[in-house]
Amino acid sequence: MNNGTILTATGLSKKYGDLEVVKGVSLSIDTGEFVCLVGKSGCGKTTLLSLLSGLERPAAGRVMLEGKDITSASEDELALFRRENVGFIFQSFNLIPTLSAWENVALPLFPIKMTGDERKRRATDLLERMELGHRMDHLPSALSGGEKQRVAIARALVNHPKILFADEPIGNLDSATGDAILEILNILHTQDGVAILMVTHEVELAKSANRLIRMHDGEVQS
Amino acid sequence: MNLRYLRNELYYQKRRTLAAVIGLSIGIALLIILNALSMAYRRAARVPLQEIGADVTVQRSGDVPKELTGAVFPCSAVTIRDEEVRRIEALPGVRGIGKAVLLWVFDPNRVWIVLGVEQQNSVGPSILRNSVIEGRFLNEGKSEALVEVSYARQFGIKVGDTLSVAKRDYPVVGLVDASRAAKIAVANIYLPLLEAQRLAASSGQVQAVSPFNPVDVNLLFIQADEERIPELSSALRTMMGKNATIGTPDSFLKLLGSLFALSDKFTLAASLIAIFVAVLIAFKTMAGNISERAREIGVLKAVGWINRNVVAQLLAESVIECFMAGILGLLIALVAAYGLSFLTVNIPIPWEMSPTPHFLPGGGDQIFKTLRLPVHVPWTLASFAILLSLIIGGLTGALLGRNISKIKPSEVLRHE
Repeated sequence: MNNGTILTATGLSKKYGDLEVVKGVSLSIDTGEFVCLVGKSGCGKTTLLSLLSGLERPAAGRVMLEGKDITSASEDELALFRRENVGFIFQSFNLIPTLSAWENVALPLFPIKMTGDERKRRATDLLERMELGHRMDHLPSALSGGEKQRVAIARALVNHPKILFADEPIGNLDSATGDAILEILNILHTQDGVAILMVTHEVELAKSANRLIRMHDGEVQS
Repeated sequence: MNLRYLRNELYYQKRRTLAAVIGLSIGIALLIILNALSMAYRRAARVPLQEIGADVTVQRSGDVPKELTGAVFPCSAVTIRDEEVRRIEALPGVRGIGKAVLLWVFDPNRVWIVLGVEQQNSVGPSILRNSVIEGRFLNEGKSEALVEVSYARQFGIKVGDTLSVAKRDYPVVGLVDASRAAKIAVANIYLPLLEAQRLAASSGQVQAVSPFNPVDVNLLFIQADEERIPELSSALRTMMGKNATIGTPDSFLKLLGSLFALSDKFTLAASLIAIFVAVLIAFKTMAGNISERAREIGVLKAVGWINRNVVAQLLAESVIECFMAGILGLLIALVAAYGLSFLTVNIPIPWEMSPTPHFLPGGGDQIFKTLRLPVHVPWTLASFAILLSLIIGGLTGALLGRNISKIKPSEVLRHE
């Protein structure tokens, strides 16, 4: 599974006013690796994930993702880079309430020139893989928490990303549903070779990961 | 821009969409109605003159006759010399002139209001040929008379009778229903212009007040280019002097006294307020809608939408909402215009323009032209309103879209 490094961060720092929330973090993630970033609430995990995925710019340091220095890219370059290389899974799902399940999955494809049929085919293939083929025309309001998260995972995969960033992906789910979601993530990295960086505050959840990174007070400890 | 996303946003966020559409449509409807009403009053003000086949009337007031015997000029219409008529014909904007002579004839047993009209002219009182209800219209070069039908009924005058007016005999060749035509220069008897000029020229009372040659007249009806009427009116006033009475659509509009009739400035100011209110409503509603969607915009950017994609999507939503508001506003305005078209408007005709001796029954009464207010929404106004809606939508969408697209996804997606 380890075919090289997909992400390298060097000396990343981030400040909000006088408060330094990420302090000189350096880390790397290999292709297809499942890395768990754990730490207490407020220790800077989500900020670090935002820096690594290009959602936020660091005060200092550098992020190389797929061989590209994303810290020097413009907003639009970053968006395009995310569209082609990165998938996101959020704790609160962040589905668009007015779009059906398949339309939510196809959301990253909307700005791309392709036929509507092709978009729908790619979205429905992923929903079927998530065992949601029968729910593809339903709005998010008609889906359970677990179903919403599976739709969100399908959306994160629709552009065939090389790396998934998952921020507390099971934080809003019951334990059985959470286990199912973890199982899907496991399959994605073992079978599809997608690298995963999962942020969680529960160390227990990290047992299925290849590697555990602990974070405390803005610094990486291991 | 994704049409499916656009449709779903408008359809599933009904409350949001309706608030924006209804709010803006009220402003658009207000704009259309204000302008349609203003145009309706302007159209109404043209009717009294249009009915007599003119755009402008010219007369000159003079002294009151010393004695009311024989043929006299009403004090509101004294001599307009032939050379003045020819100078007026040459004024810019004049397309045609109709001439007439209005006389009061005091015979020993009867008072006649006599109007001498041209037999062949599409401008002025010869338009009465369309209102002959019995007999025929006046023939060129003949001494004959038409009688106003209600006057004929009152005095038992029939076609074929001979009337003696100022010691001259005129066979009655027809009855004319003047009420079908204008309320301006209404008379009891209509004679050929040459006959009326002869009567006036031979009258000592007329000559004593206002010297008159047989080629002169005392009423002029002018057909003019609509856009040059103000300029023409001003030129006529200069040429004819301070005693001139120039009847124009604007002078009737002022008589109407309505706010809409009073000034273009009022309509312009009210329209600007309506547009401002419409823009404000659209902007406020859409700004609220878009700020509610900050998280959604953050998701779009996180999954790879660039700023241009976000702006295009929001711009399209805004333009479609405003277009729907424009259509709804137009429909509301059409319904309101239909309702308002049942209103009647009474246009007062100044005594000077249809003078009747005060001592005759009804002589001092105010004459009105009563008509239904012609409220229409012309396609130009409708198109302007729709175009304005689209522009408001475009500007609002572009401005708000550009603003909201600058948000950082990490700021709105952070759950901690």
